[in-house]
Amino acid sequence: MNRSLPLVILAMAILAFATVMLVVAPKVQIGREPAAAGLKPYTTEQLRGRALYSSLGCVYCHSQQPRAPDQAPDAERGWGRASIAADYAYDSPHLMGTMRTGPDLLNVGARLPSASWQLTHLYQPRAVSAWSIMPAYPFLFEVKDRASPGDRVVWLPEDRRIPGKVVVAKPEARDLVAYLLSLDRTYPVPRSAIRDDGYSRGGATQ
Amino acid sequence: MTTDRESVDEAFEPYEPKRRVPLPVYWVAIALALWGALTLLRDSSADRTGAKQRIAEATTLERRQTATGSALFAERCATCHQADGTGVDGAIPPLAGSPFVGASPGVIVQILLHGIEGPISVNGSDFDGHMPAFGSVLDDDQLARLATSVRGTWGPGGSISPGFVATERARTAQRTSPWHGGDEIATTLDRTIGVQPAYLPAPRSPDDLTAQSIASIGKAGGWSCASCHGSHGEGRDGVPRLAGLSPDYIARQLLAFTDGSRPNDIMRPVAQQLTAADRVALGRLFASLATPSSSHPALEGDVARGAELALQGDDRRNLPSCFSCHGPSGFGVSPNIPSIAAQRPSYTAGRLAALARLTSRQPGSIMPAIAGRLSDADRRAVADYLATLPPSPATSSKDAR
Repeated sequence: MNRSLPLVILAMAILAFATVMLVVAPKVQIGREPAAAGLKPYTTEQLRGRALYSSLGCVYCHSQQPRAPDQAPDAERGWGRASIAADYAYDSPHLMGTMRTGPDLLNVGARLPSASWQLTHLYQPRAVSAWSIMPAYPFLFEVKDRASPGDRVVWLPEDRRIPGKVVVAKPEARDLVAYLLSLDRTYPVPRSAIRDDGYSRGGATQ
Repeated sequence: MTTDRESVDEAFEPYEPKRRVPLPVYWVAIALALWGALTLLRDSSADRTGAKQRIAEATTLERRQTATGSALFAERCATCHQADGTGVDGAIPPLAGSPFVGASPGVIVQILLHGIEGPISVNGSDFDGHMPAFGSVLDDDQLARLATSVRGTWGPGGSISPGFVATERARTAQRTSPWHGGDEIATTLDRTIGVQPAYLPAPRSPDDLTAQSIASIGKAGGWSCASCHGSHGEGRDGVPRLAGLSPDYIARQLLAFTDGSRPNDIMRPVAQQLTAADRVALGRLFASLATPSSSHPALEGDVARGAELALQGDDRRNLPSCFSCHGPSGFGVSPNIPSIAAQRPSYTAGRLAALARLTSRQPGSIMPAIAGRLSDADRRAVADYLATLPPSPATSSKDAR
């Protein structure tokens, strides 16, 4: 190592270049993007649910980034239009995820807007879809003899009911459902939005 | 041996003599750099074409919005009323010489805004059908142009301004149902229309109240219809619109969810709770809802291509037109063929994609084969086009009258 200084300088230069291109430039480009007009900030209940979403590791199996039609048939799956930078204005950090073991959830609030369905599904996904591989989250629920006033009772199909007992949602489950139902980016994309035009050159239509 | 050992330089450090980099390495490097630059250039051109495409889409939409009254008539009305306004004997009333077209301008605007459901009498013939409501799919400008054109061709002429349409729209903003036949129009809007056959509402049955409660709060604690399909059956992204579907079609589908002949994980558990009477009552309830359309193109599909597929089909791909089976304007043919007008585009496209995967497992069903021949772009095109249509008219169960 008799000429270490140029080597170090070169290494730093490469690192600096990469940082400028991958961190600084996107930050400058996206950082100025205002929140989309139709997007509401999360409420405290939804934020608690969001924290739970992170801690339960939902992000390992569910992405939050529908793709453009020429990259994946996400819109036809009912997952919504390709997301834009402005959709994540209130997400810090974002929970885009990388895996799609389960469906994309960025528009789950529009696709499955029923809170009672969400509760049943979280308590026991197999009660809804026999083939589901999603883990059940029974610890977000309480099995009681009878519901007290103000309790949110979870409806179950007959073969899943516990005789003489009712399943009641804990506040955690209600927070998580509040967050899931807030995931609704179906408002139209602003004309000026930074968005993904996909790979298409000739256009999305063939 | 010793002399040999002494001659070896112990402090020797290996070094590599300076050698020129072989030319092929330069070539490879230059080629890679060129490739990189080209890719960058092509990507940036993709960005530009993306923008161009959006502008092109916007202009098609704008062209649709600025279409003349007669173009709007050809696109929206001529399927039923015919291009020459003569209607269809016994089914669709004529416009030529119609007292409704000849009446004060408010009448035609109100009919376009809310549609008609029930009997009307035109030029001595009685009709008992449904006219869709265009209030949710055409704006004041378009409605003004369309009404002016119809009155200019078959009525007393004169110009209807967008401002007038806006006033009329505001005047009946509270209205949630179509006009109940010619009688209501004649008595509330313009008496010069003359005597019209009376409208007899369908009798209410005790099951209707049960259906109301299942729809809004669910049966025995189960998920309610409204929690996904909306409180007026308007549907949401990926959840179908139910308002205005045929009552028999809804009842049949609920049965199909129950016995598994239409597999659907979300509908099955709730459908299994329902009795036969519930199914029929729910069908009647949703069929009677005149909910405005809340659908709009959302899949970046080519709306013009979608219109071509819906109206004419595509012979080269062996695709029949949608409307050849789903009825004029895609309002469905009871009890087996559903209304496809004003459905959410993501639902329509998703359903077509799911049907395509079914191949021909269901004997007697032709949709899987047709859906299989639709390309992805065509599915999006047709779904986006159907979202621009007025919703199928509500029926308050004509059979019951």
